Amino acid sequence: MTPDVMTRLGRAPSQVVGGWEAGLFALLLLLYLGGAVVNPAFFGSTEAFHALLRDTSRVAIIAVGMTFVIVNKDLDLSVGSTYGLIAVVFARLYAPSFLDLDVITSVMICTLLGTVIGLTNGILVTILKVPAFIATLTMLFIGRGFVLALTHGQSIYYPDKAKDNPLFFRLGETNSFGFNNQIVIFIAIAVVGALVLAKTRWGYETFATGGNEQAAAYAGIPTNWVRTRAYLISSLCATLAGLLSATQDKGVTPLYGVSGELTVIAAVIIGGASILGGRGRVAGSCLGATLVVLLDKVLREGWPITRVIKIGDDEVTVNAIFSLPVGAVPVFLGLVLVLAVLIEPHLIRRQVATRFWAWLLGRPPPPAFEIGSIALEGIQTKGARATDMAMSATPLGKFFARRDSPAIILTALLWLTGVVLRPDYWWNLSNTFAILLNYTELALITIGLTYVIAAGDIDLSVGAVLALAGSTAAYFLKVLGADPFTAVAMGLLAGMAAGLFNAVVTVGFKLPAFIVTLGMFYIARGLAAWFIAGQQLTGWSENYNLLGRKVNDILLHFHVSLTPGILRSVAEAVSIQTIWMFFVALIAGVVLAYTPFGQKVLATGGNIRAAAYAGINTNRVRFISLILAALCATMAGIINIAYFRSFNPVAGQYRELDAIASVIIGGGSIFGGYGTMIGALAGAAVITLVRALLQLNVQGFTMPQHWINVFIGVILIVAVLIDIWVRQANIFGRLRTRLTRTAPTQESAHD
Amino acid sequence: MTDSKPIEPIVEMRNIEKAFGAVQALRKVDLVLYPGEILGLVGDNSAGKSTLMKILTGAYQRDAGEIFVAGRPVHFKSPHESRDAGIEMIYQDFALCGNMDVGQNIFLGRWPRKGLFVNRRKMYAEADSVLKQLKVDVNSVYQKVESLSGGRQQSVAIARAISFEPRVVILDEPTANLSVMATERLLETMLELKKQGVAQIIISHRLVDIFAVGDRVMVLKRGEYVGDRHVKNTDEQEVLEIIVSGTREHALTADEVKAGEI
Repeated sequence: MTPDVMTRLGRAPSQVVGGWEAGLFALLLLLYLGGAVVNPAFFGSTEAFHALLRDTSRVAIIAVGMTFVIVNKDLDLSVGSTYGLIAVVFARLYAPSFLDLDVITSVMICTLLGTVIGLTNGILVTILKVPAFIATLTMLFIGRGFVLALTHGQSIYYPDKAKDNPLFFRLGETNSFGFNNQIVIFIAIAVVGALVLAKTRWGYETFATGGNEQAAAYAGIPTNWVRTRAYLISSLCATLAGLLSATQDKGVTPLYGVSGELTVIAAVIIGGASILGGRGRVAGSCLGATLVVLLDKVLREGWPITRVIKIGDDEVTVNAIFSLPVGAVPVFLGLVLVLAVLIEPHLIRRQVATRFWAWLLGRPPPPAFEIGSIALEGIQTKGARATDMAMSATPLGKFFARRDSPAIILTALLWLTGVVLRPDYWWNLSNTFAILLNYTELALITIGLTYVIAAGDIDLSVGAVLALAGSTAAYFLKVLGADPFTAVAMGLLAGMAAGLFNAVVTVGFKLPAFIVTLGMFYIARGLAAWFIAGQQLTGWSENYNLLGRKVNDILLHFHVSLTPGILRSVAEAVSIQTIWMFFVALIAGVVLAYTPFGQKVLATGGNIRAAAYAGINTNRVRFISLILAALCATMAGIINIAYFRSFNPVAGQYRELDAIASVIIGGGSIFGGYGTMIGALAGAAVITLVRALLQLNVQGFTMPQHWINVFIGVILIVAVLIDIWVRQANIFGRLRTRLTRTAPTQESAHD
Repeated sequence: MTDSKPIEPIVEMRNIEKAFGAVQALRKVDLVLYPGEILGLVGDNSAGKSTLMKILTGAYQRDAGEIFVAGRPVHFKSPHESRDAGIEMIYQDFALCGNMDVGQNIFLGRWPRKGLFVNRRKMYAEADSVLKQLKVDVNSVYQKVESLSGGRQQSVAIARAISFEPRVVILDEPTANLSVMATERLLETMLELKKQGVAQIIISHRLVDIFAVGDRVMVLKRGEYVGDRHVKNTDEQEVLEIIVSGTREHALTADEVKAGEI
C-alpha cells in the first residue's frame, strides 16, 4: 500500500556542516581581521596566513581522528605523546647516527607503531573496560616516558640524509603552487573524515554508539569494534601528523607534542562535539583547530605596544612587543577547554542561540528538549558482583577479604626485596627515612584523592595544584618578600581557588570530573610556570623552610638540644612533614571510616542515584571531596618548596599518576564507592617503594628516570585491570566455577 | 478487607492533571487508598502509572488537583517531604549502594550517630530487627549488597522502606527482576506488611501477582482512570478487558460494581 500523495520531505538537513560551523567561521574571520588591525606586522602578511594554515594542518589532522573518538563518548589523551613518539621513533630509525634505515621501512614501522598504540587503547577501553581517560592518560605518560628515554633529552636532526629522499620530505615543504603540501593532505583527510562520519554506516554506527551504547549493541552494532576503530583512526591520524612534522623539520626535539592532546581536544570540543558523546562534526573540529592554533599564535606572538621610556629628561616612545611568558599559553588553552566543554550541553543542546533570536524577533521560542539530568552526568559503570569473602571466620581470612590487604602485603614484600637486593644499604635508618620523606608527599596527595575516587569522581590536577601552591608561596616569599605566614596563606589560597574551580565546574555544571580537572591540570601548571618565568625562586627566610625540616633541626632552631639517645636519633631522622602527613591521614581515615560524612562519600560513589533518593546531598559530598583533594595537594606543595628551599618547575610532575595508582592499589575502585585510608597509605607506600627499588643501584646498574615513569604507568594500568577484573568481575571465581561445575557457588545456590 | 465501612482513606488523590510539554500524561485522575489495603495499579505502558506515583511522592509536581494524606491536604516538593509524611517508594532497580553492606544500606543517608561517629552497633542491631520483623532471611547485615541475589536485594530495599515506619509503601514493578521463588517470597513479605497495617500500592504488569495478594485493582489508560474492581469481585479476564477497551465514560468504581452485584 503506497500513499497516493507523497508527503514532501524537503531537503534533509546537512550532516556535514551546520549553524555552529558558520558561527565559528564568522568568529574566525573577525578574530583574524581584528588581529590584522592590531598587529599588521604579523597578521597582515600572507606569510603569516600561510603559516597559520600549515600549523593548523597537523593539529586538524589529529582533530579529525579525535572527532570519531569523542563522538563515541570516549576520549584519547594519548595523541600528543603518540605524535611526539612517532616523530622520535622515525628519527631513531632514519637518522644516520642511529639505525640509518631507508625511508619506506621507517615509515612502515612508524605506521605499525601507531596501529599498535591505537589497538592497545581500543582494547583497554572496550574489552578490558578500563575508563577511557585513565587508559589513555596512562598511555600519554608511557609515551612521554619513551620519548624522553629514546632521545635522552636531546634533539635529533638529519637534514643531510633527508636530501636523499626528496619525494617523502617534500610532503612537509612548500610546493610549486606556493603553499605547503601539508595543507593539501589536511584538506584531503578532512574531506574523507567528514564524509565518513556524516554519510557512511561507519559514521552512523559511531553516533549510535556515542548516543546510547547499550541500545546500539542491542541493535547489533559491534560497539567494541566501533570504539576500537575510532582509537585506531585517532592514533593513525596522530601518526600521520608526527610523520609530517618529521618531513617539515627533518628532525625532532623531545618536546614535540607536549600538551598536544589539550590543543586537539579543545579544538574538537570548540567545534561543537559533545564530551558527553553522540554529537560532533569533522568540519567543526577543523574550524575549532584553526581557532585554537590562531589563539595559540596570538598568545605566543604577543601584540605591539608603545612604551614611553624616560632617558634623562627626554621621554622617548619605543615600539615594543608585549608577549606573555611561556606558562600563559596552557593556562588560556586549559580555560578554553573547560569553557568549550560547557558549550555543547548548555548552549547547543538547549538551542540558546535559536531561542535568543526568536526572543529578539518577538516570535514564540522553539520548544526546548527535555534535558534529563541523568544524560548529563556520566553513567557510572558497575562491575559484576564480587564474592563476599568478608564472612570468613578466621581473623586471617578477614584480613585477606579486605580490599586493601594486597597493598599491605605488597608493601612488606617490596621492602623485603630491597633488603635482599642491597642488604648493606637498604637496612639502615637514614635510607628508611629518606624513603619515608619521598613517601610523605605522595601519601599526602593520596589522602585527598582517596575521597574523590571513593565519591566516584577523579582529580587529574593534583600534581599541577601542588606546583601552583608551591610556586605561589615561593613567589610571595622571594619576589614580594612576604613573611612565612602570608606565604603559606597565599599558597593555600591559590590551591583552594583551583579546588573551588574544579568543584564548581564539575558539580555546578554537571560535567565529568576528568575533563574539568584535565583543564585544571594545564591551567595550574601553566600558572606555576608563569610565576617563575625568568626568575630563580630560591633563597628565602629559613623560618619558612622549617616546614620541611627534621624535628631535630626545628628544635635546634629554637635552641633546644636533645641529649644523645634514642629520642635524639629519632628526632634527627623524622621530618615534621611526615608527622603532619600522618596526622592528616589519621583524621581523614577516621572521618572516612567512622563518620556519617565518610559513609555519604562511599554511598555517593557506590550509587549516586540511590544516595540522592536516600536524602544525601550528593552534590555537597562531591564538592567537599574535590576541595579536599586540592587542599591535600596544596599542603604538599607548600611543604615541597620548604623541603627543597626552592621551587622547581617539575615539582609534582607525574604525581597524579602516582596518586591515582596508589588509591587503586590500596583498594579503591576507579568506578567509585571503595577506599580506605590504610589502603591509600599502603598504596602510596607500594608506589614509593617501587620507585626507590627501581632507582636502587644494584651491582652498578641503575634504571634511568624516564623508564621508571613508563614502569609506573604500566603499574597503574595493571592495578586498574585487577580492580575491574579480579575484584569486581571476580574473573578467577568465575573461572573456578566454570572448571568445577559440580560445586555451585554461593551465588547460584540461592534463588 | 473492611471496605464497606466508612473509614478514612490514608491517601486520596483528586483530579490530578499532569502534562509533559504537549503530552497530557494524566487527566483528572482520582485515587483512593485505605489503611492496610493493597492496591494494584495496572495499565498499558505510558498509561501514567509511574507518573501518578511520582506525583504522589513529590518526584514530579502536579499541574492541577489535590492530594490528601490522612485527610490533610499536602503538596510535596520532593520525595523527602513525602517520606516525612509516611510515604515510601521502592524503585524498580531498588536504589541501593552495592558497595555498602546490608545494614549501611538500610540506613542509607541517615546512619545513626554517636557523637561525630556512626553508631555502628545500633545501626546493625536495628537493621537486624527490621529484617526479622519482615521475616526475610538475609544471612547477615554485614554482607555487601552487591553479593546478594536480586530477591534479597529487593528484601533489603523493602526493609529500608519499612525502617521509616511508613503508612504507605509504593512498589514500582517489584517482581520485574525476580525469579519465581523470589516473587513468592516477596508476596509473603507484602502480606506480612499488610498485617502490620501498612497500605501498599503495586505497579505491576503481572496481574497474577496482584490477584495473589491485592485487595483492589485500579486501571489507568492513556492518563485516564478507567475503573477499579475489588479483587474478590473480579477476575483477570475482566481486568484485561478494562485495560484494553475501557473508557472514562463507562468506568465503574469497585463499590459501584459491588453494589450492582448485591
